[in-house]
Amino acid sequence: MIPLSWYLVFSAALFAIGLFGVLARKNAVAILIGIELMLNSVNINLVAFWRYIAPDGISGQAFAVIVFAVAAAEVAVGLALIISIYRRRGTIAAEEIDMLKF
Amino acid sequence: MEIVSNYLLTFILFSPVVVALILMLLPRDQENLIRWVAFILSFIPLGLSIALWLGFNSEQPGFQYQEQAIWYAPINSSYHLGVDGISLTMVLLTTLLTPLAILASFGISDRVKAYMVLFLMLETGMLGVFLSLDLLLFFVFWEIGLVPMYFLINQWGSEKGERELWGGRKMSARNYASFKFMIYTMAGSLGLLLAIQMIGVVAGTFDLLKLYEVWPSLSQPLFGLPISTVKAIAFWAFVIAFAIKVPVWPFHTWLPDAHTEAPTAGSMILAGVLLKLGAYGFLRLVLPLYPEQSKMYAGALGFLAVMAIIFGALASYGQSDFKRLVAYSSVNHMGFVVLGIAAAAFATGTEDANIALNGAVLQMFNHGLSAAGMFFLVGVIYERTHTRNLNDFGGLFPLVPVYGGILIFTSMASLGLPGLNGFISEFLVVRGAWPIMSVYTALAMIGLFFTGAYILKGIKMVLHGPINEKWVGHISEISAREIVVIAPLLVLMLWIGIWPAWILNVINRAVMMFF
Amino acid sequence: MSTELLIWLLPLPPLLAFFFVILFTNRSKALSHTLAVGAALLSWLGSMIVFIRAIQQPHFGEHPFEMSIPWFPTGETAFQIGILIDPLSAVTLFFVAWTVLMIFIYSVGYNNFGQPKGDHDLPGLPPHGATLTDEHGHSHKVPSIEPMYARFFAFIGLFAFGMYTLVISNNLLTLFVGWEIMGLCSYLLIGFWYAKPSARAAMIKAFITTRVGDVFMLIGIAYLYSQTGTLSYREIFYNEEVLHTLATTSSGLLGLSAAAMIGILLFIGTIGKSAQWPLHVWLPDAMEGPTPVSAMIHAAAMVSAGVYMVIRAYPLLSAGYEHGHLTQPMMLMAFIGAFTALFSATIAVAQNDIKRVLAYSTISQLGYMIAALGIGGFVAAAFHLITHAFFKALLFLGSGSVIHGMEHGVLHTGEHIDPQDMYNMGGLRKKMPVTFWTFLIGGLALSGFPLVTAGFWSKDEILADAWGHGHIAVFIVLALAALLTAFYTMRQITLTFLGKPRTEAAKHAQETKWTMTLPLVILAVFAVSAGWVGIPKEFPLIGGSIPNWFHDFVGGTLLEHPEAVTFSYIPLLTSLVVALGGLYLGWVVYRKVSAGAKDPLQAPLGSVYTLLKNKYYFDELYDKVFVQPAYWLSETFAYLFIDRKIIDGILHWVAYVSSIIGTFLRNYIDKPIINGSGDFVGEGTKRLGRGMRFIQSGKVQQYMIVALVSLAAFSVLFYYLLSTTP
Repeated sequence: MIPLSWYLVFSAALFAIGLFGVLARKNAVAILIGIELMLNSVNINLVAFWRYIAPDGISGQAFAVIVFAVAAAEVAVGLALIISIYRRRGTIAAEEIDMLKF
Repeated sequence: MEIVSNYLLTFILFSPVVVALILMLLPRDQENLIRWVAFILSFIPLGLSIALWLGFNSEQPGFQYQEQAIWYAPINSSYHLGVDGISLTMVLLTTLLTPLAILASFGISDRVKAYMVLFLMLETGMLGVFLSLDLLLFFVFWEIGLVPMYFLINQWGSEKGERELWGGRKMSARNYASFKFMIYTMAGSLGLLLAIQMIGVVAGTFDLLKLYEVWPSLSQPLFGLPISTVKAIAFWAFVIAFAIKVPVWPFHTWLPDAHTEAPTAGSMILAGVLLKLGAYGFLRLVLPLYPEQSKMYAGALGFLAVMAIIFGALASYGQSDFKRLVAYSSVNHMGFVVLGIAAAAFATGTEDANIALNGAVLQMFNHGLSAAGMFFLVGVIYERTHTRNLNDFGGLFPLVPVYGGILIFTSMASLGLPGLNGFISEFLVVRGAWPIMSVYTALAMIGLFFTGAYILKGIKMVLHGPINEKWVGHISEISAREIVVIAPLLVLMLWIGIWPAWILNVINRAVMMFF
Repeated sequence: MSTELLIWLLPLPPLLAFFFVILFTNRSKALSHTLAVGAALLSWLGSMIVFIRAIQQPHFGEHPFEMSIPWFPTGETAFQIGILIDPLSAVTLFFVAWTVLMIFIYSVGYNNFGQPKGDHDLPGLPPHGATLTDEHGHSHKVPSIEPMYARFFAFIGLFAFGMYTLVISNNLLTLFVGWEIMGLCSYLLIGFWYAKPSARAAMIKAFITTRVGDVFMLIGIAYLYSQTGTLSYREIFYNEEVLHTLATTSSGLLGLSAAAMIGILLFIGTIGKSAQWPLHVWLPDAMEGPTPVSAMIHAAAMVSAGVYMVIRAYPLLSAGYEHGHLTQPMMLMAFIGAFTALFSATIAVAQNDIKRVLAYSTISQLGYMIAALGIGGFVAAAFHLITHAFFKALLFLGSGSVIHGMEHGVLHTGEHIDPQDMYNMGGLRKKMPVTFWTFLIGGLALSGFPLVTAGFWSKDEILADAWGHGHIAVFIVLALAALLTAFYTMRQITLTFLGKPRTEAAKHAQETKWTMTLPLVILAVFAVSAGWVGIPKEFPLIGGSIPNWFHDFVGGTLLEHPEAVTFSYIPLLTSLVVALGGLYLGWVVYRKVSAGAKDPLQAPLGSVYTLLKNKYYFDELYDKVFVQPAYWLSETFAYLFIDRKIIDGILHWVAYVSSIIGTFLRNYIDKPIINGSGDFVGEGTKRLGRGMRFIQSGKVQQYMIVALVSLAAFSVLFYYLLSTTP
């Protein structure tokens, strides 16, 4: 049986890739994709810990499902925001969207 | 009706405020409506206090119609009201003069609503001082009365004139007057507040009735000061606060300024009632709480009273401004009140003291009538001529015969002509003070003499002399409204002059039981 | 109606008339004078009833009409006021009622009732006359009606009220009420023509001068009240015990007893009211008023009130009086009275105004009464008070009639002369016979023409008292004054009525109407007959044929009936000589004064005449010594110096110092330290923010990096901390 640590390493790698995407990519959609990756790495962790540490309950699965739902909602809102920004400013480059400072 | 008679004093005290609130709801541009509502509703306190007068039993000792409610429990201060014969006469005077003053100010057309509201607030402030039996409450109302008066002088006072301060700095006269009035009185009440706090801390209560009982026997020190020192400090704080308000010479110079600059109705109330607050303070607080100190310093107080009588009369005689002449006459007349109080303080409990106090209290009431009347009459002539300078008048009698007659009548009441009110009280003061302070009383006669001089000067400069062509056709006879204002005062002056027993009975019983 | 109730009601009609006229009927002249005269008539009727009942009462002095009610409370007791008619007030009431009624009736004519309105008459000025055009087209000037006709009657109504109140009251306080009300009325009436500057000055002078006396009197009343606990006459003056206590208590001043002190204080009131030296200056000026007022003031009411009061207070003034030893107040009275009598008689000699002569003669005669009282002549003083009231009222009304006649002449001829100057008159006896004969009777009574006139008997009694009690100095002074009195009276009669007219106006003078002459005739009757009730028993020939009713009756007012002085020929002869001699001299000196001539005495007397003419310069002296300093004291000293400069100066100084301290605090504490530190905080925060601004780029990814780096840093920190803590 594959040991837990493998899942954890995989999950960490996925998280790092996602984080890199979030920090490094200019395209907002790509950043969104990076966030999805990070969320899913968490899901892997949850499921893995459930399976190896507490297989009797269903809390791990339940959390994972909630994260799916949140991720889906987040994508929907995020994409909508991006489209809206694109319409207003004609760009989706993260560099140029600095309205937070106002 | 049960509730009204049970809480009569509260109703009297706060009905002006209620009227003021009603006025606030009225539209601002309906000036006539505001005037009439203020005038008519100001009869409510008058009606209630007449009911109070009729229901009052002068034979019964102590305070009547008492009401007590929790107000400021942690420091033992309560909402405690009550009247005796002394405060009763003052309440009657206040509620009588307010409607008349409101009627007298129908000529005001600038911000009528604010004016009337302030006026009614003023009435509550004054009534509160007379009615409260709790030192803290007393102080609160004492200060409440100050604020509306400040605005009345400052905003509705005469527009002309300025006063030089120092080094060529000038200030408009009404600002100067209102400022002086406010600051001076505040300076006095500062000490008052201090004294009240000390009493409260030492005695553990602010309730006057309890204080009358426990105060003489108190012995514990305060902040290491022996009780006698505490009492002396509190005594002087009281005396100075009240002396400023009366005003006793040499604290009097705010008065001519404030009176002169105030609007007519403001002067009426100022002279009619506000000055009485000081004398009332002497009677209600200083004499009963500090009999020993009062006795010790009665001579000094008597001296200041005589100075007020003499110098008030002299300064009045030296005026060329009609209103200032009348204003100084208040110093002169209030001097007799203080002389009576000083004499009584020196010989508490004797018949002479009793007579002197009767005279002093009656003089307070009488001065309220005659001074209010005089200021009103000055206002009447000022409204028509827009000058107060006596040299501009002269020979007005043929033009305004009715006004002239009323002026002579009121002046004579002010002069103390026998048959009118002023004589009775002045005679009682002189009679009471003579065996106690003969020299001062004799000196006061100089003032009484000059009273005649300045009153006659006023009449001479306004009415008599060759007809003044300048005003022919420019001056109209006193109007019906104005006669309605002055008529009750005239009737009362005559009534008290001829048959003073109705009011003196109440005062006499109160004075005998209280002191 | 019970007598007491009637007495209460006596003063009321004139008072009601006053109020009615002032409030309601002041537009109707006829109604106003009807009310006033009607009221005077009612009071007169009541007074006569009271008087008759009084003289019918046996032992009236011991059982007078008295009644009192509480007026106001004074502690446990109440102050009582009430009415008292005893012999003294009964006779006073008698002359007051008569003279007042006569003056009221006379006023109707004097104020030209029934005449047309004046052409240019203004309220506040005497009427100037009206132009009438008869059917032939001739226009001529006639007297015009007084413009303030109704007001005049209202005022004299109030005046009468004051006098009646004074007479009927049983205590000093209500006496003082009446006293002061009369003071007010004299003020209002002397200044009745207030538009004349002279009248305006005179009215104030009268009130103020009498007020000097009044304030002393008020002190006296207060003193008496505090000593005895009452002000009732009967309880003080008719009570040996009280008087004795007062006479033996020391007042603590100048060694005077309380009685003496009170007496002097009260007497100062009289000095003011009855115009005794040195407060005599107001009375001649009081001639500015209409003539009925002069009569009212000088005869019927005001000045008589002063004398009435001291006569009333005589038991107090003489408390401790033993034969030959006058009390201090009595000495003062004897001195002031005698001095005034002579002093003002000398002034009267040099006056030309017909009313002013009478004014000074009034002062002189009042001095007589005061002096009489000072030497213990209680009855004599009262007697002279009454006879004087009648003949002086007669003389004043007569002089008013003369002036009226002269004014008629002045209007007729259009001359510009003073109708009151005696040098413009002359020969009026034919033009105005009634006035002449009545004036002559009055004048003779004033001079003390022997046997027939009232003045002779009363004056003789005073002189007899002075002689009999051994006060020779007083006797001589009074005799001299009597000589001068006869002299100036004859001077007046001669200049006015005898000889030939000296002006056109005097030629055209006319007798006045019946409303003016009728009172003259009635008063003339009294001026003669009032003396017959007091003829001394031992008088040669006629003594004893008529009982000395007056002495017995009025003497009953006192606790101890005063002894009539023993008869002596010296005072009798003296009064005969001075009266007849004075009259003769007056006639001799003045009978031949022609038009435009100077006073015959001017040349021989020289500068003394100027001194007399100018009344010893008392007005000027008082102006310098009292009036001007009073102005200075009040305006410059009390107001500008004490109040404005010192007191306000101190206040302003306090304000100035506060303002300096405030400015200092603001500039050196508030602004740099308090505001400075506050500002520093604000400014520092602002700078910090500006410095850190670059961090906030608004770029999400940079924020993220910052967050990540901080997370890492904190993680390291925590790890380090956790690992180092055991």
